[in-house]
Amino acid sequence: MIHNYLFLSIILFCLGIVGVISRRNVFTVFMSIELMLNAANLAFVAFSRIHQSMDGHVLAMMVMAVAAAEAALALAVVILLHKHKSKLDTNVFSLLKG
Amino acid sequence: MFADGLFLVFAVLAVLGAAGLILFRHPMNGAMSFVVTLIALAGLYALLSAKLIFALQLIVYAGAIMSLIVFIIMFLNIQPSDLPKEETKLLYIIGSMIAVFPIGMFLVKIVKSLPKSSTEIIGNNFGGVKQVGLLLFKDWLVPFEIVSILLLVSLIGAVILAGKREAVK
Amino acid sequence: MGQSVNYLGLIPLFPLLGAVLIGLLHVFFSTKVKFSEKFYGILACVGPVLSFILALKVFIALKALPPESRYLSHKAFTWFSVGDLHIDMGFLADPLSCLMLLFVTLIGTLIHVYSIGYMGGDKNYGKFFAYMNLFLGSMLVLVLGDSPVVMFVGWEGVGLCSYLLISFYSEDTSNVLAGNKAFIVNRIGDLGFVLGMAFLFWGIGASGFDFLSLKANVGNLTPAVALAVCLLLFVGATGKSAQIPLYVWLPDAMAGPTPVSALIHAATMVTAGVYMVARFSFIYSTVELAGNIVAWVGILTALLAAIFGMFQDDIKKVLAYSTVSQLGYMFAGVGVAAYSAGIFHVFTHAFFKALLFLGAGSVIYALHHQQNIWKMGGLKAKMPKTYLTMMIGAFALAGCPPFSGFFSKDEILYSALATGHYGIWMVGVLVAGMTAYYTFRMIFVVFHGTPRDQEAFDHAHESPSVMTVPLIILAVGALFAGFLNLPAIFGGSQMVTHWLAPSLSEHHPHASHFLEILAIGTSVAAFAIGIKIAYSKFGQGAPEPEFKGFAEFAYHKFYVDELYHAIIVQPYKAIGSIIWKTLEPNVTDSPVKAASKLYMVIGTAFKVFQVGYVRIYAIYMILGLSLMSLFLSQSLN
Repeated sequence: MIHNYLFLSIILFCLGIVGVISRRNVFTVFMSIELMLNAANLAFVAFSRIHQSMDGHVLAMMVMAVAAAEAALALAVVILLHKHKSKLDTNVFSLLKG
Repeated sequence: MFADGLFLVFAVLAVLGAAGLILFRHPMNGAMSFVVTLIALAGLYALLSAKLIFALQLIVYAGAIMSLIVFIIMFLNIQPSDLPKEETKLLYIIGSMIAVFPIGMFLVKIVKSLPKSSTEIIGNNFGGVKQVGLLLFKDWLVPFEIVSILLLVSLIGAVILAGKREAVK
Repeated sequence: MGQSVNYLGLIPLFPLLGAVLIGLLHVFFSTKVKFSEKFYGILACVGPVLSFILALKVFIALKALPPESRYLSHKAFTWFSVGDLHIDMGFLADPLSCLMLLFVTLIGTLIHVYSIGYMGGDKNYGKFFAYMNLFLGSMLVLVLGDSPVVMFVGWEGVGLCSYLLISFYSEDTSNVLAGNKAFIVNRIGDLGFVLGMAFLFWGIGASGFDFLSLKANVGNLTPAVALAVCLLLFVGATGKSAQIPLYVWLPDAMAGPTPVSALIHAATMVTAGVYMVARFSFIYSTVELAGNIVAWVGILTALLAAIFGMFQDDIKKVLAYSTVSQLGYMFAGVGVAAYSAGIFHVFTHAFFKALLFLGAGSVIYALHHQQNIWKMGGLKAKMPKTYLTMMIGAFALAGCPPFSGFFSKDEILYSALATGHYGIWMVGVLVAGMTAYYTFRMIFVVFHGTPRDQEAFDHAHESPSVMTVPLIILAVGALFAGFLNLPAIFGGSQMVTHWLAPSLSEHHPHASHFLEILAIGTSVAAFAIGIKIAYSKFGQGAPEPEFKGFAEFAYHKFYVDELYHAIIVQPYKAIGSIIWKTLEPNVTDSPVKAASKLYMVIGTAFKVFQVGYVRIYAIYMILGLSLMSLFLSQSLN
């Protein structure tokens, strides 16, 4: 039944959110975001299967392309941050402190 | 019947991989379990008759993006001392699960209200390259072009961001 | 019904435009291009001359109308309209304002011409003429106003110009202080005027607040409100026309240039109070008590100022106190309901007082700005034209027949006698004698005898004709103006009184011939006694006296200025200082500061949430999202 796929997507999405807000390691946060994107992809494909239309697949492809672009840039930023402080802790960067 | 069993296996693998991602301390371990999740997801796509997406997930996501991430992790030569000391990790995880729970419940409630439908594997005229291609280059042409520009932009950005900068230093 | 004419609005407009033009020329070009003084002078005289020509036109137009509807009106534009109060910028030319118009524009023109010579060499030449034109324009607005509010606009305008012109030599702080004093004391009077206007509006203003409507509706005014209006308006008049208790600014105002003293503080502005009482005669005639108060204040002021004038040593101060005294006479006249007598004395006084001031200016100019009479003497040989014209002015002021001052002063004294105000009449006769005394004291000390300062005397010379020709013209007026209102006892037909009758609510008392002859006789006798005493003391040249006792007290003006300073000025300064130092920091500043501190505290409280860690911000987002989904899932049930 198609609902199972959607439940799985929800579980993966929630796990992704948990990973973003509870971990301090930069890589873990980034990969949790990718996990969320994948959960969304799964939901797209599942809905596309329900309605038997290909739009979901196309959108899933777009998401993958965007994820790839974002991965490249995010990793470049991670490298820069590491060069700056040689730490991988998100708590170190607190210049926004009001 | 067989499909249900496969679905269960892939689902359990995906969830276990995700849990591993958020629990492991060293990012390399997390990346590896994330790859497991991605492959399981690819299997799920196949079960949903999404042939192209199945292939693309394996090639692009698990193959290209994850290898990029793993490469960078190894490039930075992380020692255990570099990693942040996360004593309160478990506390935060439990707290966030409680915070995320309402969101999940809300989404579940929405999903439950959808009508039931089957997940038989449909072979022809669905999910293949030809169908995706037709749609991509007819209805979704403009987003396709924009995504290509996006990729160009990110390429340039990545080069500038991570390249050597003598003048700025 | 009177006519409506367009050119009425031009009468004040020409001098006002002249003021703006000269002012702009002075401001923008005085440093770059030096316009010749002649240019400014001629430009300045254009406005007054045009106004005088239009005033003549108004006079001719009014003569052609029948007496019942003898007025011209013009509404330039609607100023504002709020509820029952509808004020137009309107002008009204009836016989009273026409008379005022004629002599204001004539004397204004003559004094402008005189100033071309007197102010020669001054670096702010253009500014002076701009202010003078502005003054003339404001005075014309005052005289022509068809409503108390428009009159008040002119009232304030002349007060402003008086301040500007008194402080004209602004390098000397004492001149500026004198200007301040004039303006502030005026302002106190203006408060009374505004309150009077407010009461008047409250009483009968709902059906139109212009003079014609007010005159028609005056019967609806209750006696109490009428009395209040009369007294409050009179307070305004005491400020503007220098009566007790607000006369203290006029002697100090002599710090301004002499043409200013002549025009503003002798001929025109100070008479605005008398004009105002005459204009409101329709109310004053219904409340006899107010008239009595006005008359007594007036005559007592006349007495007080005459006492002061007898002991002054500055030629302009003598004339200043003389002005206050004569103004007292005018108020005595309008107070006993002899409005035309008061206005006639305004008319003649304008001529001879302006003449005396301009003559004094001529003397001051010749002696290079020496104003102390005890440094003058024997000038009649050196300045014959000035001497002759000043003699004419002095005879007119002292009330010698057949000069103009005699007829107008006698008219007032006779009216006081005929309406039963014997006290006012007696004081008036006494003051007439004192007037003759101090006037001729001044003339004898300045022009007769031997020079007291030989060096200044040697340098003295007659003034140029641009200054002496206005003196001669004014002397002609001072000589013959009296014949315009010749009473029946001398065979005349009282032309001015009859001319003014449609504007004034006046009842002419019918008294016996005996009283008329008594009035004439006593005033001539007072004049004779006064001039005799003056001649005996000063005619042959006298040295500077030393004042003791009462004379010294009078020389110091009864220390009234010092009294005001102690009773009024010092307490105000003390109160102000208390407010500034203690009240303001605690009562008004601290709530404001506390409010700003409050916002800082609130901000600091909220600053706790700005931790700077992006992860915490993401947590905030997720918390918000979960709250939202809680709400939504409730509503989905």
